[in-house]
Amino acid sequence: MSYQIEEQKVFNSGHSACPGCSEALAIRFILNTLGPDTIAVVPPSCIAIISGPQPLSSMRIPVYQSTLESSAASAAGIKRALTAQGNDHTTVVAIAGDGGTYDIGFQSLSSAAERGEDIIYICLDNEGYMNTGSQKSSATPSLAYTTSTPAGKGTPKKNMAEIMAAHDIPYLATATTGYPEDLARKVAKAQRLTGGLRFIVALVPCLDGWGIPDSAGPKVSRLAVESGVFPLYEVENGVNYTLNFGPKDVPVADYTALQKRYRHLTAKDQEFLQKEVDGNWARLAKKF
Amino acid sequence: MSDAKARIPSIWTTGWTDQLRTGTWRNAVAVHKKRGAPCHGACPVEGEIPLWVRQMREGDSLGAWQTLVAHNPLPAVVGRTCHHPCETGCNRNDYDGAVSINALEQYLGDLAIQEDWALPAPEAELESRVAVVGAGPAGLSCAYHLRRRGFRVALYDANPELGGVLRYGVPEYRLPRKVLAAEVKRIVALGVEVVAGRALSARDLPELEENFAAVFIAFGAQAPKMLPQFPRDDRRVMGGLAFLRLVAKADPPELGAEVLVIGGGSVAMDVAGCALRLGSRVRVVSLESREALPATAEEVEDALLEGATLIDAAMVKEVEEAQGGRLKLRCLKAELDPAAPAGAIWPLEVAGSDFELLADTVILAVGQDPELADWQESVELQGRLVKVDRRFMTSRPGLFAAGDLASDQRLVSVAIGDGKRAAGCIADYLQGGKRDRPKAETEAKTAAEATEETNAEAEAEAEGPEVAFSDINTFYFPKKEPRQREKVAACERSSDFREIKLGFNPARAALQAERCFSCGACTKCDNCFYFCPDMAIVKDPSLPLQYQVLDQYCKGCGCCLAECPRGAVSAKEESK
Ligand SMILES: Cc1cc2nc3c(=O)[nH]c(=O)nc-3n(C[C@H](O)[C@H](O)[C@H](O)COP(=O)(O)OP(=O)(O)OC[C@H]3O[C@@H](n4cnc5c(N)ncnc54)[C@H](O)[C@@H]3O)c2cc1C
Ligand SMILES: Cc1ncc(C[n+]2csc(CCOP(=O)(O)OP(=O)(O)O)c2C)c(N)n1
Ligand code: SF4
Ligand SMILES: [Mg+2]
Repeated sequence: MSYQIEEQKVFNSGHSACPGCSEALAIRFILNTLGPDTIAVVPPSCIAIISGPQPLSSMRIPVYQSTLESSAASAAGIKRALTAQGNDHTTVVAIAGDGGTYDIGFQSLSSAAERGEDIIYICLDNEGYMNTGSQKSSATPSLAYTTSTPAGKGTPKKNMAEIMAAHDIPYLATATTGYPEDLARKVAKAQRLTGGLRFIVALVPCLDGWGIPDSAGPKVSRLAVESGVFPLYEVENGVNYTLNFGPKDVPVADYTALQKRYRHLTAKDQEFLQKEVDGNWARLAKKF
Repeated sequence: MSDAKARIPSIWTTGWTDQLRTGTWRNAVAVHKKRGAPCHGACPVEGEIPLWVRQMREGDSLGAWQTLVAHNPLPAVVGRTCHHPCETGCNRNDYDGAVSINALEQYLGDLAIQEDWALPAPEAELESRVAVVGAGPAGLSCAYHLRRRGFRVALYDANPELGGVLRYGVPEYRLPRKVLAAEVKRIVALGVEVVAGRALSARDLPELEENFAAVFIAFGAQAPKMLPQFPRDDRRVMGGLAFLRLVAKADPPELGAEVLVIGGGSVAMDVAGCALRLGSRVRVVSLESREALPATAEEVEDALLEGATLIDAAMVKEVEEAQGGRLKLRCLKAELDPAAPAGAIWPLEVAGSDFELLADTVILAVGQDPELADWQESVELQGRLVKVDRRFMTSRPGLFAAGDLASDQRLVSVAIGDGKRAAGCIADYLQGGKRDRPKAETEAKTAAEATEETNAEAEAEAEGPEVAFSDINTFYFPKKEPRQREKVAACERSSDFREIKLGFNPARAALQAERCFSCGACTKCDNCFYFCPDMAIVKDPSLPLQYQVLDQYCKGCGCCLAECPRGAVSAKEESK
């Protein structure tokens, strides 16, 4: 088995992501799939760091750094301005972190989706406010350590994919960096299905924030899928569900074992997480 | 222009990050490096198993066979007789079962015979002549490898047909003669001069040395070990190899109804199988318990399935005449003394466990030694073997030796591997080769020790450490059921000497070749390229390994190492 991914050279070497960063890997396949006729909107996040440092850019396209609240609104504005100029070809994509999507930028995203703005919105979900020092976000999963949940988070992860599905947008997908061909395919599909907001949430392990070795990002990403923590699927128009990669009977404990943010877990905690994951999967599996 | 420049606000981008040398962050850099596979490491012939299995997987059977015969000229034979340590070493054992390498080897060997593929012609024609004495696997292998290099080779054997134990020992039902004959013929066709039916002795050495630039002896171990309890010169008591030789010549002796085979090794099981097929009732008496028999589990199981009875952990004390011209064996159960040093067997009698066995024929299969009485004047011996140094040279300059007469490993694969390495050493000796000549101060070693050392040396210099299962990224290898060769049902075996193991058909061979991880050998799958977040690996088909690691960008994260399915990328530490 080997991957076949068509890449156009948009994302540059020499960027300042940590060694082994899965977010940089995700950006590679997003930008190199979308190609040079693209404008990106990036709010404060690791993505902004990776795109810098000013005045140098790692992205060979125009990039607008918005506020943390307004990426979807900014992207929608840029797209409308292009349309007003008669440009019907340039893709506009917002690439934001989970803090900027699940929490701070949520209202502008939800309203852009509701208005049917012709943009792609990709959330690179590393399950916390990572570039400011690993604080919790509403994407942080149950029991995970962050600097603001030192005893482990007491509430479950917000289900962003299902929230966006409920907006009945043309296309929604979950993806992750351990499956690069799947990620690239979904980005290309989002680019094709114009006429509304297309949303992708990609799980990107954060080496430092999750406490994993530099080389283990892709492996942890795959374990998230194989354990059922993060199934990979697509939804068209809010109703047509397709499963791409589902759980493979891998215990959630195999996934958490590789991450220091879970090292305080007791056997009971593990059981709790397993139940939560099983429950989420049972609920989702009905939709395929 | 200065106007336009002045209008660009300072927050605008003026260039790209690829001018930054983020490679300076690292303390180790990725390198594509071939590493040894455990199958190869375990193979006494050093037969590049991952390479030919891969060629097979890619549909290039001819190329696969050519790789195979670059090391071993007898793949159809070895595919049937080898104890396949490669499979024991195979990394897939830790996953879903070893790759059935031996069956694949047989498959390619048989295909080559069927398709009449020829061995590649010698690289050159050289003047030097080498005499090879003994055409068992060691002699055939050495003659072949010398001939491939272009030496003129004369191959002497005492028997009318070549093959040694393969021809006159291993029974037809394990190794059909026509398979051996086809592979031997191909070697001879390279231009080896064969002198069959002529036994040479140490007295012939001066003449050989006059006519040949070097001499290689590999006349095997043909003299049966005897047991003092048994009468000598009694036609009811015979040696295992002598019996098998008669069977192989289609001139089997009268055995009578009751046959006792003494011994628990491979030869004993072959003797039992043949005696069963000749219609006798067969009991095998071994000193070791069943679990500790020197024969492989498969050989024992086959003998028992075919109808032999095993009387294990037993020893024969005395032999007497019994009624009806039979022999009566007084036996005792025995336990092995755990205090015995490794390799030695110290039986302890179990008091009161006496029993008797009656036999028309007793066949002793308790080992063979080389016949060296004649040779001890000419070469130095080491115990019951000819002593050789690490370059397979005996104490007599220009006289080389390998195979059963110089090694107590007694395996076809070892004989072929040592024959191959000896050919290399002979070539070096004759051509003043690059390799070290045997040094006077080098302590003489047995062939086995010598082999181990040359293997280890070559490996350490050319490749990184052997790939372990933990280096394999199993995500890329869905589990696939292992399959071995099927066998003819036991009830159908006892009537004739038809081959009992059934070779793979093309579909099954392809399926099993698919299972190989290709440990340590890049297959250009592009994982290293795709998983680099820094795009520090570029593809360049003009490079031997296709990929180039860009020094200025590799941050040393190790993702390419982790994502290489097969351990073909390593990390090289760098100190700054
Ligand atoms: C019955 C039996 C079954 C075996 N089965 C297996 C098996 O399944 N798998 C395995 O790995 N190993 C097996 N072995 C061991 C293996 O066959 C030997 O280790 C191997 O054959 C040794 O090869 P060789 O070339 O050193 O000697 P041999 O095969 O013994 O060949 C020596 C050759 O020298 C010739 N010769 C002898 N004396 C002279 C002389 N004076 N002049 C000229 N020529 C002479 C002989 O005719 C013979 O052809 C078996 C051994 C026996 C006895
Ligand atoms: C309104 C607002 N609040 C806080 C910040 C400070 N801030 C900058 S980046 C960031 C973290 C964003 O986290 P996330 O979106 O998950 O991206 P990550 O760093 O994890 O990639 C924060 C809190 C800000 N820029 N704006
Ligand atoms: S998987 Fe293939 S290369 Fe690896 S040890 Fe087994 S046969 Fe050899
Ligand atoms: Mg985040």
